[in-house]
Amino acid sequence: MTTGTTTKTGAGAAGPRALARQRRRQSAVRFWKRYRTHRAGLVGLVGLALFALVALTAPLTVGTDVSSVTGAPGRPMESPSAEFWLGTDRFGRDLLGLLVWGSRVSLLVGLLAAALSVAIGTTVGVTAGHFKGAYATVLMRITDWFLVMPTLVLAIALATVLPRSLGTVVLAIGVTSWPTTARLVRAQTLAVESRPYIERAKALGGGHWHVMSRHVLPNVMPLVLAQTTLMISSSVLAEATLAFLGVSDPTVLSWGGLLQDAREAGAVSSGNWWYLVPPGIAIAVVALAFTLCGRAVESVLNPRLGVGR
Amino acid sequence: MSTREQHSRARRLLAAAAAALTVSAGLAPHQAVAADGDKVLTVAVAQSVDSLSPFLAQRLLSTSIHRLMYEYLTNYDPGDAHAVPALATEWKSSPDKLTWTYTIRSGTKWSDGQRVTAEDAAWTFQKMMTDEGAATANGSFVGNFREVTAPSPTELVIRLKKPQATMTALDVPIVPKHVWEKVGDFSEFNNDKDFPVVGNGPFILTDYKPDSYVRLEANKDFWRGAPKFDELVFRYYKDQDAAVAALRKGEVSFVAGSPSLTPAQADSLKGEKNIHVNDAPGRRFYALATNPGARARNGEKFGDGHPSLLDERVRHALFRAVDRETIIDRVFQGHAVRGEGYIPPRFSTYFWKPAAGQELSYDPAEAGRLLDQAGYRKNGDGKRLGKDGKPITYRVLCHATDPNDKAIGQYLQEWWGELGIGVRLDCLDNVTDPWLAGTYDLAFDGWSVNPDPDFVLSIHTCAALPATPKDTGATDNFICDKRYDELYARQLAEYDPAKRADLVKQMQSRLYDTGYMNVMAYPNAVEAYRTDHIASITTMPEKAGNIYGQDGYWSWWSATPADSDDSAGDSGSAGVVIGLAAGGAVLVAAGAFFALRRRATAEDRE
Amino acid sequence: MTADAPSASNVKAAAPVVPAQRARTATRYLRYGAGKVAGAAVSLLAVLVTGFFLFRLIPGDPVKTMTGGRPISAEQLAAYREEFGLDLPLWQQFTDYCGKALTGDLGTSYQFRAPVVDKISEALPNTLLLTGTAFVLYTLLGIVLGTRSAWRHGGLGDRLNTGLALTLYSIPSFWLGLLLIIVFSVGMGPIPGLFPTGGMESGGEEGFAYVLDVAHHLVLPVVTLVAVEYGQTLLVARSALLDEMGSDYLTTARAKGLRDDLVRRRHAVPNALLPTVTLVFVNLGRTVAGVILVETVFSWPGLGGLFYQALSVPDLPLVQGLFLFFAAAVIVMNTLADLVYPLLDPRVGR
Repeated sequence: MTTGTTTKTGAGAAGPRALARQRRRQSAVRFWKRYRTHRAGLVGLVGLALFALVALTAPLTVGTDVSSVTGAPGRPMESPSAEFWLGTDRFGRDLLGLLVWGSRVSLLVGLLAAALSVAIGTTVGVTAGHFKGAYATVLMRITDWFLVMPTLVLAIALATVLPRSLGTVVLAIGVTSWPTTARLVRAQTLAVESRPYIERAKALGGGHWHVMSRHVLPNVMPLVLAQTTLMISSSVLAEATLAFLGVSDPTVLSWGGLLQDAREAGAVSSGNWWYLVPPGIAIAVVALAFTLCGRAVESVLNPRLGVGR
Repeated sequence: MSTREQHSRARRLLAAAAAALTVSAGLAPHQAVAADGDKVLTVAVAQSVDSLSPFLAQRLLSTSIHRLMYEYLTNYDPGDAHAVPALATEWKSSPDKLTWTYTIRSGTKWSDGQRVTAEDAAWTFQKMMTDEGAATANGSFVGNFREVTAPSPTELVIRLKKPQATMTALDVPIVPKHVWEKVGDFSEFNNDKDFPVVGNGPFILTDYKPDSYVRLEANKDFWRGAPKFDELVFRYYKDQDAAVAALRKGEVSFVAGSPSLTPAQADSLKGEKNIHVNDAPGRRFYALATNPGARARNGEKFGDGHPSLLDERVRHALFRAVDRETIIDRVFQGHAVRGEGYIPPRFSTYFWKPAAGQELSYDPAEAGRLLDQAGYRKNGDGKRLGKDGKPITYRVLCHATDPNDKAIGQYLQEWWGELGIGVRLDCLDNVTDPWLAGTYDLAFDGWSVNPDPDFVLSIHTCAALPATPKDTGATDNFICDKRYDELYARQLAEYDPAKRADLVKQMQSRLYDTGYMNVMAYPNAVEAYRTDHIASITTMPEKAGNIYGQDGYWSWWSATPADSDDSAGDSGSAGVVIGLAAGGAVLVAAGAFFALRRRATAEDRE
Repeated sequence: MTADAPSASNVKAAAPVVPAQRARTATRYLRYGAGKVAGAAVSLLAVLVTGFFLFRLIPGDPVKTMTGGRPISAEQLAAYREEFGLDLPLWQQFTDYCGKALTGDLGTSYQFRAPVVDKISEALPNTLLLTGTAFVLYTLLGIVLGTRSAWRHGGLGDRLNTGLALTLYSIPSFWLGLLLIIVFSVGMGPIPGLFPTGGMESGGEEGFAYVLDVAHHLVLPVVTLVAVEYGQTLLVARSALLDEMGSDYLTTARAKGLRDDLVRRRHAVPNALLPTVTLVFVNLGRTVAGVILVETVFSWPGLGGLFYQALSVPDLPLVQGLFLFFAAAVIVMNTLADLVYPLLDPRVGR
């Protein structure tokens, strides 16, 4: 339904690599031009850039020992002051520093889990769309079955079964959230494969791998990109949820972990809003930014949806 | 079907829902005083009931409720916790220490009017001795019983296999035989279907809804005197913050905390009008237990505790790098007492603390020297190597549900990191399995100590080890020490209190020196109640002690209602007014919005 | 909250509009329906199998855990194992479990010593009350606001509407719940604590007072659920209507001189609602499972809390039963959606 642009010339795709690359660049430029017109998407992108910057420069800005408990500079649970803009946590650590430092884990888990989820989804979707017959039937049956599994319940169960670590959280999120991507990618794959040039490529002796990697994959990539962006948003939320429910590694500092700490320290009923509010806002803003970007990408690819404008 | 109709119906539904929300917001039910003027004491608890059958219940909440429902043979004095008469008015042991005779209080009645007799007590114990299902919760109390008989309605005789110093501390609810003998399968009967439940304690159980509340009514005929409150409700709050907020609002009269309020909660409640924070010495010790190499009674070793921990110097070094002051100051924020011996100072009879030369005080430099001496030296990276040449990393078992475990774990990571020793925190919801399997190096450990310390002492004897690796022993963490065991046997057979206390102190000294159980703190019982609901309440010990989870029923039985309950009512009616006003405003705004939208649509588009 | 991001492409977009054809025969629908039901049955079986084996991977011997810390003799341990059938080989436990499950017996909870079915049916009405109320409200809210938004898309109202929905959608539900407790239960500044902090009832009320009491407890959890959930419905309803609005027949209808309002209500909205139906059903199933968080925050005595308690023992029969139940809720709802959809939209259902 979208982005036939890169391969419109059909058999010409088998021509010189340079030509193909040029065409891809052109379509990227076209994509950007259209993306630019989505104000919400731009806002999201700027937000993401800021958060990425904060996360990447955290070792320089707040330093690696911001999470040290023995070297905590303040008293436990201090309210915001000139010295600690957001107050201190239960150990007396600077909450602003922790918030900055926590962005690294939250974003990392979000990215990795989304990558894992989309990778599984794309693999399943492309192969199920490419190989028809029993293989596809079984695969889509499994997909449908995962789709009906209560994701949160399954993720909690997985996180309980496996040892508590970041890897477990990534796995629990990734393994439970891929089916939507698989279904979307499969539909797109079917659409792509029904085009005549695929027939031609097959006739010219292109094997399964060739068809899937050279023709199908580049065509589903935009969809995958949109899906990844949206998936990061839900992965960041999922990470916070699992950390909040206490099935994550308690010594790793993330936004969800901060919220869990805050709750365990009794911040809610003590009125220590400064411990509770910033991590939640950070989670919401990042999730929102990714959602905005994802929707903008989606509507560039499929203008009929008319979202985001 | 016309779409217009559908549409307006949807709108009506929305309006109705909004109205329902508004109305319900306004009508905040009153607490403290029920409609019929009964004085109600509502307690916020964080635990749910596992079973209301005294034969099955193991959780603190359930056993506390049983204290209120059923009278036990003896009770503990609120002052110094010595045994005082309850169902039994007096007791004596035979010269050979093997026969105990209890005189059962005459003239008391079950709540259904039947007489309470020695036969009820005998039947309760006999049931536990013969029916495995009935032995689930309290089977350990009758393990050493040879025979229980009731020669007369006022006389109960228990014959023992071996002498047992704890015969005045049998924490077993005595149930009415005439009710319970009809029960078929004790392992499945939960005692939660027929209300009111027949009992003879200060309160009668009248209603229970799982994960919501347990309701008890005062037993006006209770032999010690009727409770001052008419009703006692334990209300379940999964979330401690919600419970504290409920206390602030007066929805509940008392918050127990699980196991106590956090420092932040206590501090914020202290400033509050009409709320008293009871910050009293607790009955728990909070320790760092070391895996001494798990083994069974048959000598078989199992588990995979780190071999370096078998060296006493290493254990001492680890504890000397633990700054108990920081733990008290930062983690408990003053709501705990620095750890010394095994039994908390609250039990003054048995409390012991190490002499100056014996104490393992905080001294990281000395810790480093001890490790060097033991042959665990640092490599080029500053990591200490085990005898296998690999850097030492200890697995520390922690309870995922206990914030203190996680917090102190992070300190340990940094303190021991300085020593060159790695720490991996294994925080689990359920630590039982690695614990029993001995697959840990160190573990956060804690027990509530009873007035009679026998139990917490017994769990470190060789006899408590599992018979084979396949069994489960009563052992806490596989400690087995000859000298400790000798002392334990002597104190159990010692019926003279002073001599027994001295033996118990010697045991603690021995335990301290082995370095297997390092007590870091005695956490306070931090709880809070509303002074405008509760005028007075007995703590245990009376001078400074806890209210929730006492060894007797003193707190709830003694609680007296405050005279005026108006303050709660005032805020309630203010709530009604404001709620109604807010809801009304929302409704008007919504109505105006829809009306305007409709008109606008009509005008624009026509 | 591993729910999918609010993306219109997650929902089957309506195919290009063609005049409805009622050529389908009842038999075709029945065959279609039978296929769907059979598929659902297979899914349920698969869930049964997964539930059984997945939770057996949780480290922990349930019998040792139940008796943990208590001095328990080896014979007693063995007796427990026998009582709960844990001494049997795994395959036999499995066949026993399946056999009993088919007759509606999900075993006995380890920690509560009560039939799992009883524990579930005790908590189910509470969960249904919470999710049902929230579901009705957020579906209505989503559809009403979504169609309004689409009808005047690009306008200020639309932008605000969509923006708010997206923002609320990005908020972690448990965090929102905690904030609501701070502000509206504990009270903050001039705002008094209007609502109870948790639980479902004060206990002891009867009759109409009881209904009001429960409704009073219901407000904050429902508001939380509605806030985080209505966004998705809104976005889907909105894009479905936008899809529909490009259609020729609407232009025709307008050209006929029908009032705009009327065109929207009579033609566009009903058609656009079709794809929303799928989402509505899927959501209902999901909300039941996703309610765990809200139940935790508000101490609601429902299935979520039960699941969490069961998981930490692990109380295998209870965990399995709840897992089965949660998955079944989604499966049944999806199947219902599949069955209802062709009745509403004759184009679907081959």
